[in-house]
Amino acid sequence: MEGSHTAGNTYLIRPNYQHKFKPAVVKECIRDILKEQLSGVDYDPEEVPLTSRNLADRIKDKLKKMGFDRYKLVVQVVIGEQRGEGVKMAARCFWDADTDNCAQDIFMNDSLFCVAAAFGSYYY
Amino acid sequence: MHQEKKITREDTWKADDLRKHIRGGGREEDHGRRREEYERQHRGGDSLERRPRDPEREARRERDKQREKESTQERKNREKDRHLDRRKERSNDRIGDREEREKERKREKDKVVDGSKYQDGGRESSDKIHHRGEKENRDREKERAQESEKDKDRTKDRERYKQRDREKGAEERDRERRREEREKRREDEQSIERKDRDRRQESDRRDGHKDREHLKESEYHDKRKDRERRERHSDRERTVQKEDKEYREHRRKEKEERERRHRETAPPDVAESRRRDGDSREVARRDHKSSEDRHRADGEGAERDRRRERRRREEVDPKREITERSKDKRSHQDPKEKRENVETKEVLGQSESVWRSSQKELSDTEEPVEKQDPQTESQPDHDGDAQDYEEDFEDYEEDFEDGSESGGEEEEKQTHSQEEEREEREEREELNPQRREQIEAIQRAMKEENERVGSVQTRLSPEEEEERPSKTGGSETLPQQGKFIDFVAAKHREVNKKVACQQKKRSAELLRLIDLDYSITFSLLDLPPVNEYDMYIKSFGTTNTKQAYVQCNEDNTDRGIQTEELENSEKWTQHPAEWNAVCGGPTLSQEDSQSTTKMNVDSQRLATFLRSASQVVAVLLEEDRAERQSLKKLRSQADTLQSFSDGCLQLNTRLPFLHGRPISLVHFSQVQTQTVLSVHSPIQKPSAVRLDSKTIICIWNIWEPSRPQKILVYESEVRSCCFSPGKATLVFAGTSVGSVVLWDLREHAGDHHTLRIGDIDWTLRQPTFSTDAVLAASGHMSSVSSVEVVPAAVSQGGGPELPLLGSDEESSGLSFQLASLDENGVLNLWVVLELPKTNEAGLRPGGKVKLLHSSTLLTSERKSARDAIKTSPPQALLVKFLPSDPSHFFIGTNMGVVNHGTSHGLQAPPKFYRPKMVGARPVDVTSIDFSPFEETFFLVGCGDGSVRLHTVASEQPVLEWTGNTAGDPVVSVQWAQTRAAVFCVLDATSNLHIWDLLETDFEPVVTEKTDADRVTAMAAFGDSSKQNTFSGIALARQSGKIEMQYFSKRFTVPDSADLGKLQSLKEEVFLD
Repeated sequence: MEGSHTAGNTYLIRPNYQHKFKPAVVKECIRDILKEQLSGVDYDPEEVPLTSRNLADRIKDKLKKMGFDRYKLVVQVVIGEQRGEGVKMAARCFWDADTDNCAQDIFMNDSLFCVAAAFGSYYY
Repeated sequence: MHQEKKITREDTWKADDLRKHIRGGGREEDHGRRREEYERQHRGGDSLERRPRDPEREARRERDKQREKESTQERKNREKDRHLDRRKERSNDRIGDREEREKERKREKDKVVDGSKYQDGGRESSDKIHHRGEKENRDREKERAQESEKDKDRTKDRERYKQRDREKGAEERDRERRREEREKRREDEQSIERKDRDRRQESDRRDGHKDREHLKESEYHDKRKDRERRERHSDRERTVQKEDKEYREHRRKEKEERERRHRETAPPDVAESRRRDGDSREVARRDHKSSEDRHRADGEGAERDRRRERRRREEVDPKREITERSKDKRSHQDPKEKRENVETKEVLGQSESVWRSSQKELSDTEEPVEKQDPQTESQPDHDGDAQDYEEDFEDYEEDFEDGSESGGEEEEKQTHSQEEEREEREEREELNPQRREQIEAIQRAMKEENERVGSVQTRLSPEEEEERPSKTGGSETLPQQGKFIDFVAAKHREVNKKVACQQKKRSAELLRLIDLDYSITFSLLDLPPVNEYDMYIKSFGTTNTKQAYVQCNEDNTDRGIQTEELENSEKWTQHPAEWNAVCGGPTLSQEDSQSTTKMNVDSQRLATFLRSASQVVAVLLEEDRAERQSLKKLRSQADTLQSFSDGCLQLNTRLPFLHGRPISLVHFSQVQTQTVLSVHSPIQKPSAVRLDSKTIICIWNIWEPSRPQKILVYESEVRSCCFSPGKATLVFAGTSVGSVVLWDLREHAGDHHTLRIGDIDWTLRQPTFSTDAVLAASGHMSSVSSVEVVPAAVSQGGGPELPLLGSDEESSGLSFQLASLDENGVLNLWVVLELPKTNEAGLRPGGKVKLLHSSTLLTSERKSARDAIKTSPPQALLVKFLPSDPSHFFIGTNMGVVNHGTSHGLQAPPKFYRPKMVGARPVDVTSIDFSPFEETFFLVGCGDGSVRLHTVASEQPVLEWTGNTAGDPVVSVQWAQTRAAVFCVLDATSNLHIWDLLETDFEPVVTEKTDADRVTAMAAFGDSSKQNTFSGIALARQSGKIEMQYFSKRFTVPDSADLGKLQSLKEEVFLD
């Protein structure tokens, strides 16, 4: 209680610029990982849950190293089979648009598509 | 006494002591011993037979017996029980401590409040006594309901207290109970939670849904407790009577409830039953933990007693403490006794409560404070929102924990403000590590027990649970679980709550600064469905298929057009042509070369064509100009002079170098009748132009009278002059120095010297060839009197002349003979040659035409030489050749006769032609002219003024006119070119007589006299063959003028009778 009293005026409600969640950088990072992990991979319903989890972890780990200070990171990876069906994915976030952001990238080959989205939410 | 006790406690229970106390190994041992005792006791509680009298030994003995008797299952069961007991005991210990501490706190407060109350005690109203009593009753009732047998321990203790401290015993008890009540409720919560946690630890064995229900229950409890509290509060204020009744009813209900409870052993059912009504729920809840409460109460009592005693006797004798404790514990052993004690206690309690209530009644207003005090300081508003309530509760719990864990140290401070409490909390937190040790140790033990119990229970439960309710009259298994108090969880919860609270505050503050919104919807993936064709192509497109391109709309096709490369070739062209090539190039084809040769030929012909055509054009232009300007003038002038002419044309002789020169000769070309040459004699007096001593010959075209076409120059006087036959390309002249010269008119103007006079360049041509140097030996020794071209067409007999003369100019032009006659009568014949090269002597540079000496004829005869002595020496004056036979020549002499001779062959008669008058007399023959129509007729003019008409065949003249010129010598006789019977005679006095034989043959038809400017020369012109109207005579004046007089129509139109007249004249001669 005392702590919050004294810290009342010291809230960091905006991230430092160099620590800000930069979608372009994140997107590049995601792209690299997806490319590295998924190139030449065929869709296998047995493998995919593991793959997607691994991917999400990898992306998360990499993003953590990028120094988005005070950011909560959420990484979502969806892998689906390419069978000619139409797919639509969208995300909606209730957040502070000034600080929070998301980056997303798509990887596709003949047999599968993979959507990886990373959401960064600033932790005030 | 109570005060004393409190004071001693304050004095003795310092923080250090407490720590020591907690850590103390001896105490631990005590605890352990106590636990064992408890086990035995409880086992005894379970079955009276087994209950040992002498705790340790008996228990062992009994156990042995049991082992003998019972199966291993039972043993396990026992063990389990033991574990449970132990756990209960431990928790009870702690709870007991806490309770005690709380009691102390209460007591302190009470002391403060009640200090005054004691004095006014008597004044208390009966209402409040009742009230208190009722409360007591209720409390006791509850206790009874919950604790049944084990309450008796407490009552015993209390009795003991009472004996010791009669005054405050009841009050204390009362307070204790109240506190206990509240504690129970709170501890219910805690215990439930703890139970839950314990159960979670044992989750493998137990069902999850039970836990969940318990959790729910705990939540319910929180709220219900509040409600209960409120109820209680209001209950207290009701009247005694009412409460009595209620009390009774309550009791009844409770009994019923108890019965029901026995029926409803399973926790879910209990929960349901609770929901039926508030009271029953409350009771049920309590009942649910009845066993726990019982144990706790049990522990409480024991602890309390033990502590109190210890406090009192601590310093005196520690051993005694132990014995007392055991004594205390032993007191628990008989439930029946306890039950009796409870009853007695109730009675006593009522009496006590009277006193206590009276005390409390004194400060009626203080009652809420009292109540609030243990509960919470922040509870004055009963209607406060649930949240506050909960928070308060947390605080309260913390207080309790504080109390229980930090012991007596905090008891003193309990009376102080909340701020102090916070400090205490901090202090407590300092103690945490030690506490944790403790807690961990306890937890470990608990776990072990739990495991053991769990394993046993699962196996034993059916048997045991049947037995137990009958034996104990209460559910044993369930309450056992609730006994474990998990401090870690509590701590966690506390911390969590704190953190949650902080975060809540934080978020509240931050949310003001931050704007949260649903920003744009991020489209993560939008993969359109692939249509069938694409899908097909994707899967099969690359196998055995081929895509063809078809264009339906013709208009839209694109066509590429590649144009062929241009072929280039270089060519040149040259004009004028050089080496027969006009054009050419590095890659000439055969066709090209052919065309080149063709061109070559064409160009040659073109050159000739142009040469002639240019002359024609020039003439035409000149004509045109002359027609318009000067011609008319001249004509009008001439008209006045000449009666016989239609008009006249004057050649422009007013040139600087011709000025003042007399014209000695005018001569027309035989073929080119329009070409005329005039010989201008040299003048003596010097003039501006340095051509004084030279003879100038001008070549004119009568159609181009403005200027002469060519100007020929010779160093000495020219006596005679003539054109080449055919085309007038060569001019021959006989000079006074005895040489024959020729000019080639075809020579280029650039080869000759040009003289600039005024603004006009004049080309003065020197002779191409002269016989002076080369042919001097064979040449003439005297001046050449006459040069004449020997007609080329040598016809046999009277061959046609006209075709000969008009023959092909090219061939005959340059192969002819020239005759020259000097005064000595030497006739030289020359051959005209055209040379391909020009390096001969006598030929001027660039000249190509020369004369070769052919033969010489001496025409002066020896026989006539004696005649010559008599007279003057004979002189040959002029020579003429018979046009039809070039071998016959006629030479006029100064003797008045014309000699006839032949160049080769026999001498033909007559030898000479003489006048009618006999006898030779010295008369010059000045002119001879053959008729162009009838070649056998020729006219001879003489120096005496006589004119004779001869035929070739007769010596005598046909006609002779002597007196027409009045003795003036005849200068020239000329036949008209277009009429055979017309001729002109010019005498020395410039009289011009025109004869027309057809009209008169004895006198001229026209005699024209010119006095002003003497006529020095005359020449007739016109084309006899063409009979054109432009025939006339050219008259050269002394002044240098040349007039072209055109004959009027009567002298030009041919008459068929002309030749007839001539023929008749011939016949007359032969007839004579």
